[in-house]
Amino acid sequence: MQAFKNIIWFLIALFSLTSCIDSYKPVIKSNDKGKYVVMGNVDKNDTVQTVNVSMTSSISDPNYIAVTGCSVEIQNDKGINFPLSDNGDGTYTGKIDPQYMTPGSAFRVNIKTPDGTDIESDYDTISSCPPVDSVYYNQESQYTNNANDENKGIQLYSDLKGQNSDSRYYKWTLTETWEYHAKWPIRWYYYLGTVYHVVPDDYSKMVCWHTLLIPKIYLLSTKNLSDNDYKRFPLNFVGSDTRRLEYGYSLLIKLEALSHSAYVFWERMRLNNNSNGGLYEKQPLTVIGNLHNVTHPNIQVLGFFSAVSSHTKRIFIHPIPGLQLTFKDFCTVRALRKGIIELRGLDYIVYLAGNDETYFPTVYTRECVDCTLLGGVTDKPSYWPN
Amino acid sequence: MKSFKIFTLLFLLSLTSYAQNNNKAYSWHFNHLTFSEFSHAVTQKTGIKVFYEESWVKNVRVTIQNDSLTALDAVKLALQETTITTSYWNGDIVLMPKVMLITSLPVYNKKIEVAKQTKETKITASENRYLKGRRPDVIKSIQVGYKGGPIERGKAKVLGRVLDEETGEPINYATVYIEETKSGAVTDNNGFFILMLSPGKYNAVFNILGFQEKKYQLNVLSNGTFTVHLAKKMINIKEVVVHGDRQMNINKKDPGIEKIPVKSIKELPMMMGERDILKVSATLPGIIDSEGSSGLNVRGGGSDQNAFYIDNIPIYNTAHLFGFFPAFNSDIIKDFSIYKGYIPAQYGGRLSSVFNITTRQGNMKHFTAHGGVSPVAGNLVLEGPIKKNSLSYIFSGRSTYSDWILKKIPDATIRNSRANFYDFSGGLNFDSQKTQVSLFMYRSKDHFKLSDLNDYNYGNKGASLIISHNFSNSLRGSFSFIGSQYGFATVDKQEVSSAYSHAYNLEHYEFKAEFKQVINNNNTLNYGLDAILYKLDRGIVEPYGVASLRKEVNLGKEKGVVTSLFVSDNYEVSPRLTLMAGVRVALFAPLGPQNVYLYQPNGPMELQYVSDSILFNNNQPVKKYIEPDVRLAVNFKLDENSSIKLAFNQMHQNLFMLNNTISVAPNTQWKLADYHIKPSRSNQVSAGIFHFFNKSNIEASVDVYYKEEFNYPQFKDGASFLNSPHIETAVLQGKAKAYGIEVLIKRTNKKLDGWLSYTYSRSLIQVNGGDVWNSINYGLVYPSNYDVPHVANLVLNYHLSRRISFSSIVTYQSGRPVTYPISVYYVDGYPYLEYSKRNAYRIPDYFRTDLSMSIEGNLRRKKFLHNSLLISVYNITGRKNAYSVFFKTDNGRIESYKYSVIGVPILTVTWVFKLGNYASE
Repeated sequence: MQAFKNIIWFLIALFSLTSCIDSYKPVIKSNDKGKYVVMGNVDKNDTVQTVNVSMTSSISDPNYIAVTGCSVEIQNDKGINFPLSDNGDGTYTGKIDPQYMTPGSAFRVNIKTPDGTDIESDYDTISSCPPVDSVYYNQESQYTNNANDENKGIQLYSDLKGQNSDSRYYKWTLTETWEYHAKWPIRWYYYLGTVYHVVPDDYSKMVCWHTLLIPKIYLLSTKNLSDNDYKRFPLNFVGSDTRRLEYGYSLLIKLEALSHSAYVFWERMRLNNNSNGGLYEKQPLTVIGNLHNVTHPNIQVLGFFSAVSSHTKRIFIHPIPGLQLTFKDFCTVRALRKGIIELRGLDYIVYLAGNDETYFPTVYTRECVDCTLLGGVTDKPSYWPN
Repeated sequence: MKSFKIFTLLFLLSLTSYAQNNNKAYSWHFNHLTFSEFSHAVTQKTGIKVFYEESWVKNVRVTIQNDSLTALDAVKLALQETTITTSYWNGDIVLMPKVMLITSLPVYNKKIEVAKQTKETKITASENRYLKGRRPDVIKSIQVGYKGGPIERGKAKVLGRVLDEETGEPINYATVYIEETKSGAVTDNNGFFILMLSPGKYNAVFNILGFQEKKYQLNVLSNGTFTVHLAKKMINIKEVVVHGDRQMNINKKDPGIEKIPVKSIKELPMMMGERDILKVSATLPGIIDSEGSSGLNVRGGGSDQNAFYIDNIPIYNTAHLFGFFPAFNSDIIKDFSIYKGYIPAQYGGRLSSVFNITTRQGNMKHFTAHGGVSPVAGNLVLEGPIKKNSLSYIFSGRSTYSDWILKKIPDATIRNSRANFYDFSGGLNFDSQKTQVSLFMYRSKDHFKLSDLNDYNYGNKGASLIISHNFSNSLRGSFSFIGSQYGFATVDKQEVSSAYSHAYNLEHYEFKAEFKQVINNNNTLNYGLDAILYKLDRGIVEPYGVASLRKEVNLGKEKGVVTSLFVSDNYEVSPRLTLMAGVRVALFAPLGPQNVYLYQPNGPMELQYVSDSILFNNNQPVKKYIEPDVRLAVNFKLDENSSIKLAFNQMHQNLFMLNNTISVAPNTQWKLADYHIKPSRSNQVSAGIFHFFNKSNIEASVDVYYKEEFNYPQFKDGASFLNSPHIETAVLQGKAKAYGIEVLIKRTNKKLDGWLSYTYSRSLIQVNGGDVWNSINYGLVYPSNYDVPHVANLVLNYHLSRRISFSSIVTYQSGRPVTYPISVYYVDGYPYLEYSKRNAYRIPDYFRTDLSMSIEGNLRRKKFLHNSLLISVYNITGRKNAYSVFFKTDNGRIESYKYSVIGVPILTVTWVFKLGNYASE
């Protein structure tokens, strides 16, 4: 199916002088709204098992609508129930003794919502998972839509070495963390008519760590391969146009072994969410989960409840030899032509440049001295090397 | 002055009466005499002298075995293969080359302007016309047969032929209308037609679009043959007639012959200046075409349900460059017919329609060349006689040079890409009056390379040898030997670990024998046999490169034979009522070698449920399908200008496309029905009414149809055709139905002419096997991808002068069905989309206006080269028609977009040239 994507690309490009992509808002019928969504899994690798219950929201106003007050129970194929407790945000958590979570054992979930709807999943069976094999990167470029513009960066790959007894269906979940720095410590600032000098320099908001779950779905089936092996499975690409690679980059790779039905579910989720909308666009797939509305069998319940086994691996990358970083740091410096008088009347903190003795009539944007504004936290993660 | 003398002579001759008794019959037994020996014998036997010039008859050899012929009839018989005419003059026989001796006094209403005669030594065709053409109402008379010649049950079998006066090419689909009997006939591909007439005199009207109508008086004496030459009207060259829904061929007022006078398709505005007859056909009701897709949808059918033939060669991929250009040169098309309601019994194998293209024969009289240059491609046609009037050739070639466009595009991936195509064809035509032989060869090829990521090659090639022969005046047969091949080769190296190469090949070998026999005045039979051998090599998906871990998959080979017998009768019940009834019975057998998997009963056909397998040996039938089709049509003429038609049509299809994208991709595989996948079939009923408004020269027709299709193949969601040779694991078969109403209003042969078509139609599919695994869309009915309820097209041509004309095409289509995302839900904090039921929504409506101006070079008679220019603007309003609407989840935000392939006006100038003057062929 990759071929189709290429053709789309090709056509978009071939007709790039004539074709165009515009924003367009379709009108959605009212009866296509408001369905339950259940996502959850059982994983031996996790200490707590989580199930999430929510409602679908409209395309025009997308938001997470948690469903609280449900009673949620996980059940294994031996008939043992594991009740979960309501966290109040749509998530329900509980513990299952690892002895029950061996390959071959199956689990399902039972939910009773506050409006009296009974939701039940099919049983999903745990299969065994090989450890994460080597993860490495290669310096590559990605094409962009801009003329003559290439985005250089690193493409991460992972190999897979499975046993015959292992699952043939895999899903990678990637969580990235990077360290980044504000440009300067806080030294001088202006607030409500007064200029303050911070002594000593405040470095507390200069170093941040940002952690993100990469939303892309990475799936592999070795069903059609001769061995349960794969070389150079492409993971994420980290471009030089972000600040991820400046001071240190870490990737947490979680490899899950899925059942066939879970793989089909995720594969369809992946395909449906990678739509390019070109000339050879495919029919969107009907994503069939394994949850059923027992009370109203005609009403669909979205989502999947799976039983998996998994392994994780963390890697660190720094530095990248020869790679020029071209990111935007949102730090700009502006000289005050009339001096500090220009700031009169402002009721928020304005950071100023200066040396140990005096401040300069030069204003920093807040991003120059406060790294938390770009989404990171100043607490160093425990796994971060010194 | 010589011709003046002849003229006076003719005048005097016509005054002479011949009272002598020349009707005495003699017995004649000659074998292979020269004409002078023969004429000597005539004089000896009868005392009648024969006057002629030696050079006219030097090649004539006379063989007559007859016991009762007059001298005149004997001479006529001796000269029947020539154009020499025979008349009595003062008791003797006079031969004249081409000119009929006039034996009755013509009526003149004008003085004869003798001074205008030129000094040429022979009477030229135009002078002949001049001489003959001055009589209002009294028309040229053609004698068919000879007095006392054979007739059958009181009727004479008349075999006529219509040829182009200028090129000698046969004219097909010309109508012959006999005023007295209100009946008629239509010429076939070789220009022949057959009539059964009682001896007597008839007024016959010969008519075909683009030629001057001609009236002749037929003096039918006995079984006989004659040839009529029609002259082109002074309009543009290479006029291609698109026949909308050809249903019945009776006379010019018949609604079935939906001739759309594409006053040379050359004048219509075209994308990038490349003429595309398929796109023009899509302006007719019931035929839908969409921008950027290589398929047409006819009456709610899929794009694989149309059969495309070029001179009987089936074409499996009709598009160049993803469907933006047609895979054949429009310059070589002589006739283009579409059957979508009643499909004659000689056609079968596709559910929706037959697109039949007949190519032109080479010029029989002289060499000529023509061609054109557009911004993306150039084409050239060469043609001429090898032996004048009997053997000619035509060669056409076309190639693109579109790479320069790609090189202009700043993106590196595109700059390193290539897009090339070419096609060429060649034909040889041999024509003796009794036998026509045509050999036609065709080849088209496309190549795209997307940087070093992947590579596509595909192409068609084919050849056909068609031998037509007149066994007698009432029986014509044609025998076709056809070979066709379609194939593609792809290399995909996008991902190192799963890079692959794949090549696919389809071969089609066919023999077809077809006979047309006039049984009596009211019945014409068509019957024959059609045998096809399909050989499909679905290819091997091989790992590409050392790093590829892809498992090699052999998709397998397939073989199948279809043998069909067909017979149909065209029964003229009364001058007003015509009935066509036909039966076609096909036996389809997929053949071994084949390894067929059997699956556990009542479960999904998936590889994990295989219970057993059967191995079929080479050529052993895997299964036998008997496919009877009944075809019926009734045509009732209400009055001179209106008629009603009714039709019932059954079809079967054994070959279908593996395609789960909305458009037809260049690596589309075809697949035969097999052990598990049943052939699909359809039943269609249709009715139409036609009226011709004499005053305004406007024709209007309304058609309604209802069609049901069974075993309609649909592909499971996300089906891949590269992973397994067992396609049954990816296919479900369901039902489809389509219905609609089609309106066409058109005006022809006026300064402002054109047509307006409107169609309301639906096309719905249901795949419900009762379980989740054998249903699509939860088993509910859903609109097909090409369910387009409202379609309207307006085509206008304004002929300002002979040299300048303007054309426009306005197209409106309801938006195509689409499956939309309808809601958003969150998984791990990231949004995901939920999609609607299949095809529950529609993209925005499509609307486009194209304009063109065509400028012809000067009208000087004597010149070497004639030029013309076509300036066309595609999508003049620049409307951004949605090709698709799509959604993207970008950094947690869902954005919806529409993609327009052509969102700006495109101006192109095409230069077209030909040898000779404005009117030359």
